[in-house]
Amino acid sequence: MRAFIVAVIAAIGLGVAAMYALTANQKFAYQAFATTGARVSEPGANLVGEKWTGNPSTNDTSESAHGKATGEPSHPKRS
Amino acid sequence: MRRAVTLLSTLVLATTLLVAPGAFAPVQAQNPITKDGQNPMGAKPTADSVNEEFLFKNADKITGRVSIPDKKSQNLIQPQGREYQSFREGYLPWIGAAFILGMIGALGAFFLWRGRILTDDTQESGRKILRFNAFERFTHWMTAVCFIILSLSGLNYIFGKRLLMPLIGPEAFGALAQWAKYAHVYLAWPFMFGVTMMFVVWIKDNIPNRIDWAWIKAGGGFIGKKHPHAARFNAGQKGVFWMVAGFGAAMGVTGVMMLFPFALLDINGMQVMQVIHSLIGIVFIAGILAHIYIGTLGMKGAYDAMGSGKVDLAWARAHHDLWVEQEQAKTLSGPQIGGGRRHPAPAE
Repeated sequence: MRAFIVAVIAAIGLGVAAMYALTANQKFAYQAFATTGARVSEPGANLVGEKWTGNPSTNDTSESAHGKATGEPSHPKRS
Repeated sequence: MRRAVTLLSTLVLATTLLVAPGAFAPVQAQNPITKDGQNPMGAKPTADSVNEEFLFKNADKITGRVSIPDKKSQNLIQPQGREYQSFREGYLPWIGAAFILGMIGALGAFFLWRGRILTDDTQESGRKILRFNAFERFTHWMTAVCFIILSLSGLNYIFGKRLLMPLIGPEAFGALAQWAKYAHVYLAWPFMFGVTMMFVVWIKDNIPNRIDWAWIKAGGGFIGKKHPHAARFNAGQKGVFWMVAGFGAAMGVTGVMMLFPFALLDINGMQVMQVIHSLIGIVFIAGILAHIYIGTLGMKGAYDAMGSGKVDLAWARAHHDLWVEQEQAKTLSGPQIGGGRRHPAPAE
């Protein structure tokens, strides 16, 4: 039983280590593909906005309505 | 008066009938195509235009032109993608279901036919022998735990949206699938590490030899009550070892190719990797189901080997007689077979 518990802990530990190692080398698309000649806007966490429910409402005109990108604004490069 | 109105109406109708065809003639003249796609001259006006067939004669895919750095985005049509989609959405779920349900059915039928493979109770010695030491059990369980989660999360890629989403709803399935994807990607690494460790630790006991052939010819103890001779691992266990080593390596290589998209392969290559990964994964799961069955329900005493690490000496003599002889020869004074000892000496 002890070997099993240690094995589970080791699997989780190695998985977490793998997560940090892999994500350290990853970039968002808007970071990876932005160049001095091409600006890629940041879509935010969700392309359809945080209030999107699957039922588009035409009456919702608030700032965070569906269809509006969320997340921190990017700092576009200018050529 | 009434007669005049009738005459006027007749005149207007006759004029309309005469003038109408002439009014629509210019439109027909500009677009003379009939319903069957032919114009009145019998020729297809788009016959000489650039079409899909023409473009595929020049290249295996149709591309546009983009100005962003990611040139892969200029792909418009790639026929292999349709073949891949047909496999992924059409054939793969059926292949997966056939193999996995087939194996479960076969194991159930075998259990009904053979029952649990028992050790004769009169043979039980009450003394224990260490079969797998702590490191071996750690390696096995780390790989096994990862494999089970990788299997479930992998099957979720194939069956989740078909079987699970209707039950738990799209929101819950979305969250579950996302975490399953994280687990699949990150636990793949301890799995690959575990397979490598198992390969190194156990390869010396898994080289095929003549004893294995005799074991197979004798039915491996599955047929009849007598167990054929076997060293530390019998031919069946060696088969599981080489399956795990081979399939584990194949799953690792194909999985890494997909984890690092476009690092070594293009989109075609990654689709091929996905096909190989999924097919081997299904056979792998079916094979491990048989391994789990024989290690737990199928054979009395087998689980102890990987549970506590110690098995009954009589069980070991029945199933791995040549290995017991070797161990006893190593430790003539008997520390390996120390009945009642709390800390038996490791087998290695």
